[in-house]
This record gives sequence, C-alpha cells and structure tokens, in this order.
Amino acid sequence: MLDGYLPAKLSEALDMMAECDCIPFAGGTDLMVQHARGSGVRPCFDKTLLFVSALKELKTFDLMGKTLRIGAAVTLSELLENAATPQIFKEILRQMAAAPTRHMATLAGNICNASPAGDTLPYLYAMDAEVILQSRNETRVLPVADFITAPKRTQRKNDELLTGIRIPAAEFNVESYRKLGQRKGMSLTKASFLGLASTANGRIEDIRIALGSVAPHIVRSRKIESKLTGKNIKDIPGILQELQKDYSALIRPIDDARSTAAYRKQVSLRLIRDFLINCMLKKIP
Amino acid sequence: MKTGISKAVERTDARKKIRGEAEYIADRHFEEQLYAKTIRSSKAKARILEIRLPEMPADYFAVGRNDVPGLNRMRTVVSDHPIFAEEQVEYIGQPLFLLVGPDREKLCDLADMVNIRYEEEAGVFTLEEAEKQDTVFTDYQYRKGDPAAAFRDAAQIIEEEFRTGYQEHAYLEPQGIAAEYRNGILYVYGSMQCPYYVRNALLETMAIPDKQIRIIQTVTGGAFGGKEEFPSLTACQVAVAAKKTEKPVMMIYDRDEDIRCSTKRHPSLIRCRAALDKNNAVTGLEMDVLLNAGAYNGLSPVVLQRALFSATGVYDIPHLRVRGRNYRTNMTPSGAFRGFGAPQSIFAIEMLMLQIAVRLGEDPLEYKMRHALKQGSQTCTGGKVREEVKLPEIVGKIRKMSAYVKKQKNKKPFSGIGASLFLHGCGFTGRGESDIRGKVILSKDKDSVTLRVSSVEMGQGAETVLRKIVAQSLDIPIEKVNYAQVDTGAVPDSGPTVASRTTMIVGGLLQECAKEMKARWRECDRLEIEKVYQHPSWLHWDDSTFQGDAYPVYSWGANIAEVEVDPISYEISVKKIYAVYDVGVPVDLRTLDGQMQGGIAQGIGWATIELMEGEAGRLKQSNLTDYKVPTSMDTPEMEIAYVNNPYPYGPFGAKCAGELPFVGSPPAVAAAVSDALGRKINYIPLTPESLMESDNED
Repeated sequence: MLDGYLPAKLSEALDMMAECDCIPFAGGTDLMVQHARGSGVRPCFDKTLLFVSALKELKTFDLMGKTLRIGAAVTLSELLENAATPQIFKEILRQMAAAPTRHMATLAGNICNASPAGDTLPYLYAMDAEVILQSRNETRVLPVADFITAPKRTQRKNDELLTGIRIPAAEFNVESYRKLGQRKGMSLTKASFLGLASTANGRIEDIRIALGSVAPHIVRSRKIESKLTGKNIKDIPGILQELQKDYSALIRPIDDARSTAAYRKQVSLRLIRDFLINCMLKKIP
Repeated sequence: MKTGISKAVERTDARKKIRGEAEYIADRHFEEQLYAKTIRSSKAKARILEIRLPEMPADYFAVGRNDVPGLNRMRTVVSDHPIFAEEQVEYIGQPLFLLVGPDREKLCDLADMVNIRYEEEAGVFTLEEAEKQDTVFTDYQYRKGDPAAAFRDAAQIIEEEFRTGYQEHAYLEPQGIAAEYRNGILYVYGSMQCPYYVRNALLETMAIPDKQIRIIQTVTGGAFGGKEEFPSLTACQVAVAAKKTEKPVMMIYDRDEDIRCSTKRHPSLIRCRAALDKNNAVTGLEMDVLLNAGAYNGLSPVVLQRALFSATGVYDIPHLRVRGRNYRTNMTPSGAFRGFGAPQSIFAIEMLMLQIAVRLGEDPLEYKMRHALKQGSQTCTGGKVREEVKLPEIVGKIRKMSAYVKKQKNKKPFSGIGASLFLHGCGFTGRGESDIRGKVILSKDKDSVTLRVSSVEMGQGAETVLRKIVAQSLDIPIEKVNYAQVDTGAVPDSGPTVASRTTMIVGGLLQECAKEMKARWRECDRLEIEKVYQHPSWLHWDDSTFQGDAYPVYSWGANIAEVEVDPISYEISVKKIYAVYDVGVPVDLRTLDGQMQGGIAQGIGWATIELMEGEAGRLKQSNLTDYKVPTSMDTPEMEIAYVNNPYPYGPFGAKCAGELPFVGSPPAVAAAVSDALGRKINYIPLTPESLMESDNED
C-alpha cells in the first residue's frame, strides 16, 4: 500500500494526524530503505504517509535568546550551511551519510527513527536538547533523552507531530568527536564518542560525555559527569579507573554485521580515556 | 612510453557512458515483456518436502525444473549446479524456481505467499568443518625437486598458517539478463563476460542446436569475474521461462539479492612449511591450500590450479610439495574473481617470506630479492622463465620512488611501511588457451575495418585497446576501426573475457590479422581475415602431473605501502601506495593506469575493510550498508610507474595487466600494518576488531 497526503499548512497536517493513523514522512531516507521491496516496485507502508517536508512552518531556523530552534523539516544540509549551527555539530553532520542523503534527511527524522546509531543523538543528549510535539489540541516539550524510550521507540503519540528541536546554547573550550565506521566516508556508525567540556584555571566547570551505538540507548551519565565537575584537571588520572568502571557498566554493546561487542566496549573506554587524559590535560594552564 | 602505442587516446566508450547514453540491460524493454523473480532456498541444507504456490493469476507463471527441456545443470568446468533445485538444496539462496509475470509488484506479492516445507539437515560451513568431515571436491598435488631431502637437511624449519576472506565483486551494475524467442531463434541479452560460455550452457539446458541460439552482450557495468560463469545460470533460467511463457523474460537482480546469491572470492586457509639451509636461504617449501568452494564446484578446480601454480610467487624455491583442495560447504558458491586464486597464494608466500626475514633480522626486500626468479629459472611447475626478469630494475625504481630506506629508518610509532613482490601468469592456466583456440575476424570495407571478437568491454577498456591495436597496426585512425557488437551469431569465439588474456591473446591475434591486411590493403575493397590461436610449440604442459609451463609468460610487479594505524581505534589508513609494473609494453597508459589504480584499491579493500563472514550458511554482510568497499576517502595517493619489457609474442610487446595490481596491494598493505604494529600478520581483512582482539592476546 502506498497512500499519502501533502498538507498545505501545519494545521492541516495536525488535523490529518488527529483523524487518521499516519506516518510523518520528512526526508524519507530511513523510511524508504526500511520499506523497500526492490527496484521497480513501490515501497510498502501499512499506514498513510503524511509528507511534511514542504511545510513552511517547519522550515524555520532561529535563535531564541541563546537557544537554537530548528524546524522539523530543516535538512541536514541546511543545518550545515547555517552560520548559527555550532562548529562541533557541523563536524558531526559532515560525517553523516553522503551529500544526497543530507539534502533530504532531517534532524527530526534522525530523532524519530530512534536508532542507538543515530549520528545526531549523542550531540542532542549532551546538549540537553528538547523536542516540541504538537497535536491539534496540545503542545508538549520533552528532553530528547526522555522522548526516545528504546531502540525504535519514542513517546510520540499517534496524533502528534514532532515540529521542532530546541538546543540550549553552551560554550566549551574542549570538544572532541570521533565517529567509527567501517570506512572513512558514507558509513553507518559502529561506535561514536562526543566529549564537551569547559575549563577555567585548570578546573572543570562543565563536562558532558555521550556515546552512540554502544548500548540500546545513547550513553550519557550526569552522575559520572558530576564526579568530574569542579575537579582540577590534574586530578583526573587519579579517578580515571573509577570513571572507566562507571562507564563500563553503562556500555552494553552487541555483536552485529558491522562490529563486535568486545570492540565497541573497548574502543569506547579508550576514547573516554583519550578525552579525559589527552584532550583535557592540554588545558592545564 | 609517452609516444607510440602507449600514448593515451580517449576511451572509445567514455562519452556515451558519461552522457548516460549507454544502454544497459535494465534500460531495455521488450514488447510484452515479463519479469522474473527468483524464489530461493531459505535453508543451507535441506530436503524439500513440499512447495505450495498461491493461485496464479492469468499471465503469471511458476517456472521450475520440470520446464527444463534439456540438462538441469549449468555447464561449466564441473557442471554440478542445478538450473533449478531438485529435491535437495545445498545453500541459502539456491534458486528453486522463478515466478514470472508482467508486474513486478504483483510478483513480490505472489512471492510473499509461496510456502515451502523443508526437512533440514546438518550443514558444513567453515573450512575447518569441511576438512574434518572431508567434504573435498578436488584434491591436487604436485612436486618439484626433492622436498623430503630439503626438509631432512634443513637448518631451520618455519611453519605458518594464513587466511583470507570472502570478497564481493560489487560491480556497479548488478546481474541482469533477458531472453526472447523470435522466429524460432532464442535470443539472450545481458551483462556478461563470456557470451560463448552462456551459449554452451544453453545448448545443453535448452537442448537445441547452436544455430537456434544467439547471445548478445549488452553494455556491461563492471564484472571482475562475477559475470564469468554466473550469467550462464541466469541465462538458462530466463531462457526456460521465455520458452514456457512464449514471451520475452527479463531478470534484473537487486543489489541485496546479487550480494547474497552470486559468486564470491574463495576464502582460503593456507598452511606453509619452509625449510631453510644454513645460509638462511629457503630451499624447500610445503604449501597446503584449502579453498572454500561453497555448495557446488563449478569452476573452482581451475581457481585452485591458479592458486597452486602461484604458490611460490616470484621466488625460485628448488624443492616443493604443493597440495590444494577445494572443499564443499553449504555456502553460496565461490567463483571467478580478479586474480582467480592467485591473490590467496601470493598473500601467503609474501607474508611467509616477510616473516622469515623479520625473524632472521634481515631486510625483507633484500631477503626476498635474494630468492627472486631470473631468466632461465625453473618455475614451480618445472617450466621455464623465458623472459628477462626485470625485478632488479623494478625494485631499484620503487626504492627510489618511495625513499624506502630512509622511511624505514625514520619510523614513527603506529606507522609502517611494507613491500610486496609479485607476478601473474598471463592468459589461461595450463592447457586453457590450446583448448579454447580463440578465433578472431578482421574485415575491411573500403577504408574502414571491423573487428569481430567475443571479448567484451566491461569497463576495463578492451574496446579502446583492441581498436587501437588494429588502428596502429594498419596505420589508420581509431575511428575507422569498428568493434562489432558482441553477438554469438556474428562474432567468432575468441574465448572468454577473463584471465587478463584479452589484450595479449586476442589483441595479439588481431594484430596478426592487421599485419596481413596491411600487406593486402590494396588488393580489393572487401577483405576478411581470420586467425586462430596457435599454441607456441615451445610451451609444454602436462595436465596429469602439473608439470611444464603453466603460463606462456608472466607480468611482474612491486608495491610499497605506507600505513598509519590509529592507536586508539586500530583503524588502518593506507597513506600511500607506490607501484612499479612490468606488463611488457603498455598499450594505453591511461587505460592501464585505470586498471592499476582500480586493482590496487580493490586489493586494499580485500585486505582491510571488506569483511564478509559466513554464519551457519548465511552471509552476515549481505548489502552495501554492512559490506563496505573503499570510497575515495579510503583510497590513498598512488604513484605508478612501468618498466618496458617487450614480449615478442604480444601485440606491440604487451603482456597481461588486469589482475596483476589486485595481486600486489594486499600483501604490501599487510606488511606495512605488520611493521606499524610490530607483530606478525597472518590473515586479512585486517579489521580494527581483529587487530584489537589479537592485541589483547599479546
């Protein structure tokens, strides 16, 4: 089955969402692959598609105070082209898929696909980003980390549309991102690491660590981060072992076609260590 | 080399391909055409108890083994693969029957409703299991000298075991084939390397005379051996379907289906024992080559032969005992792939020689060169190296290009440099060329000529190179030389487009035609000259003992690879490849560079990222999301040079070239990784996972 609606405005889209069971379809770069039946054959969806990528209301991109607001139909390429997108986020986006896919794919889609390998998720978790969910009668705001409940599962209700993402601003002077794939370009992530920190006078004021593709969800622990906040950088080596043990308990990867659980676990711990020792120690005045 | 035959011309197929004008089989449409969809086994080894089909709408058909008019086996070296499975299935993906009809969506719906009951049996999957259960298809051996004495008198014996993995061809254009009956003639169109192999298979499966069959090759978007024997199977299937339905039938594979069900490079396990004398020279070698042939033997025996005749690489080892076995497993059949068994053996011998040198504290390149074959040396099968072996010049050149010695001394941690030396036997193995006796025709019509061969353009540049050989021999512009559509009804059997034989053998015959035509140019407006391959009388080969000249001549090469290994993730970055080749005389430098760059990159892929594992009969990596071939980001800068070494029996002095670069880059990269990490490397692909795991064991 392949049925679809192309609403002219957001209110129409929300009406559709309320009245029938629809799959919101933005770039379709995941959906089309997941529902493909072969060349020359239309993909098969069990529900009606609601095409949202042309909705003007969802093409917005602005700064509200210091918060970046990104409409659900903004593509990854548009994020890359925008001067307001933080550099480290651009670094992440540049390593995602290939240019044609980035021209179609959206941040909202990457969130709703809710894959532990979703490349934007470690950043969104680390930045405490939020999603805006709209239905005909209600608007809710949820942290991305709460919105995604399990692989492929979110809190989106049937009548809700994810209309935007908010990323609160934060300044860091230590930033490190590593995406590990099977090759250097156009590769799905087998493990990823994002470390962000701000330091002053050799002290850690803010630190955030997020890992992708190494557990059923993105790994980020405020509890472990709080052990580092306020510490002197030179004291990190003393607690490194304890921190690695803490993270080790959270990193629960699997074996699959692209890598092994053992590798994912070990490389994650090595990346954490590299960030905490090599990247951070450089910031000792 | 910048002038004469080597000077590059524009590829004659480039414009129509770049403009999108080239018509591939999937671009064709026949009137009243039906599509075919293959229904496949979901079990690795089982007896079929029952097949329940949905009710078939009008115009929809199931086509299976009972519809085959002749032999239900695909004809090849060993004709054991059923066109459609009978009572038994031997691998996941084995074709059971076709669903055929006008609408592809409807075919998908019908396919979803097919119900098959199996009685599963225990399968054999790995080489270890196969060896234990002795599921051997083919067992070959040969000897040279007195290996027993060499090992008895050895000062030192070194034993090593090497493994290589599956590889997918990943040609850009997936498998595609179509068949139709017109005026009582069966026409088959498709993407293929060997139109006459397809014809020969159809003769037996369709049980009709050759006058009633025409095979027409369509523009072929890459092959690498993957379209050598495999299209014979699909051609027979669509021909049976066209006969039953009395309509044209088209079958185009999707990428996933292609990866799961077409042939792969043979995984290998190679055990080596080397005997060293008191001067540290290798005097004896025992090599035991095990190949995973998959569910059917097909042309694996010949792959095994090339593996065995490449056992000693470029080295002169006086005493040899070589054994090779193809094993039957319940995996998708392995088949032809660029290098054809040689890459597995060359990897083993190169890594063995490296490891011996490292163990002895010798410079690997110098140690290897002390063992190198020379003009007049005996080959591993007791044949004779007749050409001048320019390895000293090749090695001198590559050392200079790469600043090898300096770089070895100024090594940074986790970076490494490694070298490989290699050769490739030109043309068919053993009796191949004398059995095939390739025939070519060159005809003249006023001031233009047409060459007729069954060798196909498949992306490698055959069309340009063969037209150029004729044009330059006749001293006429290349535009005046036509390449006849490869159609078995119109071109002679000049043999398959395989074994790096097209330029040297087919091009050589065309040059002979052209020379004769030139002498008779003014005789008349129309002239046709035909030449048939004559095996040189000085070549001797005994197929029963594997003694003699396995190949008429060899192409040679050296690679030096520079790599960096990420100390945290163990990801390999190949930074630079230096390559020097002796391919006789380059027939077109740009086309040749293209072959060399592509072969190097494909070899790097096999050695590093192209992991394909079997898991109880299933390929774990069965699409291009999970199975990765190198992108431009993974492909290093390459510096390529050639040494001139004209082969008197090749056109303009040319020898073979297409497979040579693939053979060379994997051992060079593996040697560089070994250097970077300071440890032995006995397997490929060198995935970060495997490197980190073995690091933990150290």
